[in-house]
Amino acid sequence: MILLRRYGTLLALALIIVIFAIASPHAFGTVANLVNITQQMALLAIVAIGATLVMVLGEFDLSVSSVVSWAGIASVALFGTGLGLPAVIALVLVSSLLMGSISGFLVARFSVPSFIATLAFGTVIGGFTFWVSNGATLFSGIPPAFRDLGRGMILGIPVPTLWLAGVAVIFWLLLDQTEFGRRLYAIGGNREAARLVGLPVRRDMVVAFALCAGLSGLAGLLLTARLGSAHPTGGGGYLLQAYAAVFLGMTAFREGEPSIPGTLVGAAIIAVISNGLTILGVPSFLQDVMTGAIILAAVLIRHFGRDGD
Amino acid sequence: MRAGIFALALAGLAASATAASATDIAVLTAFQSSVTTNQMINVFEAKAKEAGWNTTVVDTRGDMGQLASRIEDVVAAKTGAIVLVSVDPKLIQDQVNAAAAAGIPVIAIDGATAPGVVLNVTSDNFELGTKLSDFLFEKLGHKGNIVKYYYSAHPGVHQRELALDEALKKNPDIKVIADHYMVVPGPIDDARKTTEDLLKSKGDEIDAIWAAWDEPAIGAQLAIEADKPDSKIIIAGIDGNPQAIELIKACSHIKGTVSQDFDAMAGLAADGLTKILAGTKPEKPELYAPAKLITPESLGVTCP
Repeated sequence: MILLRRYGTLLALALIIVIFAIASPHAFGTVANLVNITQQMALLAIVAIGATLVMVLGEFDLSVSSVVSWAGIASVALFGTGLGLPAVIALVLVSSLLMGSISGFLVARFSVPSFIATLAFGTVIGGFTFWVSNGATLFSGIPPAFRDLGRGMILGIPVPTLWLAGVAVIFWLLLDQTEFGRRLYAIGGNREAARLVGLPVRRDMVVAFALCAGLSGLAGLLLTARLGSAHPTGGGGYLLQAYAAVFLGMTAFREGEPSIPGTLVGAAIIAVISNGLTILGVPSFLQDVMTGAIILAAVLIRHFGRDGD
Repeated sequence: MRAGIFALALAGLAASATAASATDIAVLTAFQSSVTTNQMINVFEAKAKEAGWNTTVVDTRGDMGQLASRIEDVVAAKTGAIVLVSVDPKLIQDQVNAAAAAGIPVIAIDGATAPGVVLNVTSDNFELGTKLSDFLFEKLGHKGNIVKYYYSAHPGVHQRELALDEALKKNPDIKVIADHYMVVPGPIDDARKTTEDLLKSKGDEIDAIWAAWDEPAIGAQLAIEADKPDSKIIIAGIDGNPQAIELIKACSHIKGTVSQDFDAMAGLAADGLTKILAGTKPEKPELYAPAKLITPESLGVTCP
């Protein structure tokens, strides 16, 4: 019973996989498809890991989708100027980190509610992205080496999956095994107490927002590499799903606390449901209903679970 | 309790899975909220039913990354064919290639030709844009100020914009005094708000509104009707959207729409797919559905 309470969401993921595998053994239940799911969840999970850092602080960053779109458009636009691959990647990642730093500074220094600050700044980024792209989908001049960053396989593992694995390990270590990570949890638990004991609250908040945006920028680069094109609203779908993944993850391991393993489970649930329902031919509107219902259920369970403690 | 709620959700899945077991045609789009895209999907589904196919419609609401993933899913499910509606296959070329490599025919409706796409059925969007521009400029006597509502992300709609650019070169006395990149989904509301603003700032200068498709034209009409009903501003769009035709009949500011025959497009696509599934290669990789200009006169209406 304790196991069920503690690992219920993880068991639910396993149950969903088993049911889909039984319903469609020759399509869903294949190793190739399960590997494919890890590729499909990779970019969402990378954005969601960034969101996790901010959620640990008890804040939101609603500009993640704008940064994903920005990174894609900026990269193709920069390739158009003749810059090389390392320079483009560096510039895009630095600009994304800078965007996150600005959001973090607004929240930490001026105590602007993160919901408002990041929504407003995300709108600024979105407008800037449209301006750079002139509203068009950009796809000219992307070098093949860049495209290889988001597609293909290495030793039978999709490249985006490898990116996710690397990001997940690094940020799991950062959050769980370093002083910085423990400080973030302390700030999220009680900001005033953290400040009174001398923790660098503002600096850590700025760094967390910057890392969140940096990961969104990385996801935007990988999305562009995967598709071979960049759309000015290409990241639009990531915002709600990323936070859904974090919320689902909060029910998975630590009671009510965002964590990297939890977020991975949350992203996996979302990806498995989308993949499985599409394979089974379920209309996309019904998929939305079911995905939303499952997320709502998970959040409600957390609420009732807490009441029962 | 968790298991109970998940079981409830999955019960629905199991029920739908049973119904979907015979699915063999996957219809995928990112723009189903568009009236015309939806119309094409509906007509295609009806034709598919007649042909004895089962269709599954997937809409990713503008999200091309999701669309790429969903194509991978239907390829994994070994669907009989993939029909892309209002999507440029080049933007998801890897996934189209993967489908082609798996022997799954990919066709496009209102899309574009691309490697791996066996057939694209569309209108000649450049011609549509030319017809719209010529009609509007003729109405203005080849002199005046226009507002341009456009959406470059859609390959077909972008062609119309290029046609306008060409027409403008031939009509130096027509000036674009404002333009606006439409918000999709929600172009009617977006055009309404934008037109309201433009009426306030440049209302006396605007002679006509060039809308890359009918939904922005409808939004502009709503704004003019509310804020400046006596103005002589002319609006024209493309698609032959039923609401736009009704507004033309009602002698609104919308004076023309270049009608795309979406039903014919979806029908030609279904016919083409029938042949492809029977092992016959289409005669041409791209087929054009006919287009015609609809005006009050062509509808038999005399407006004051």
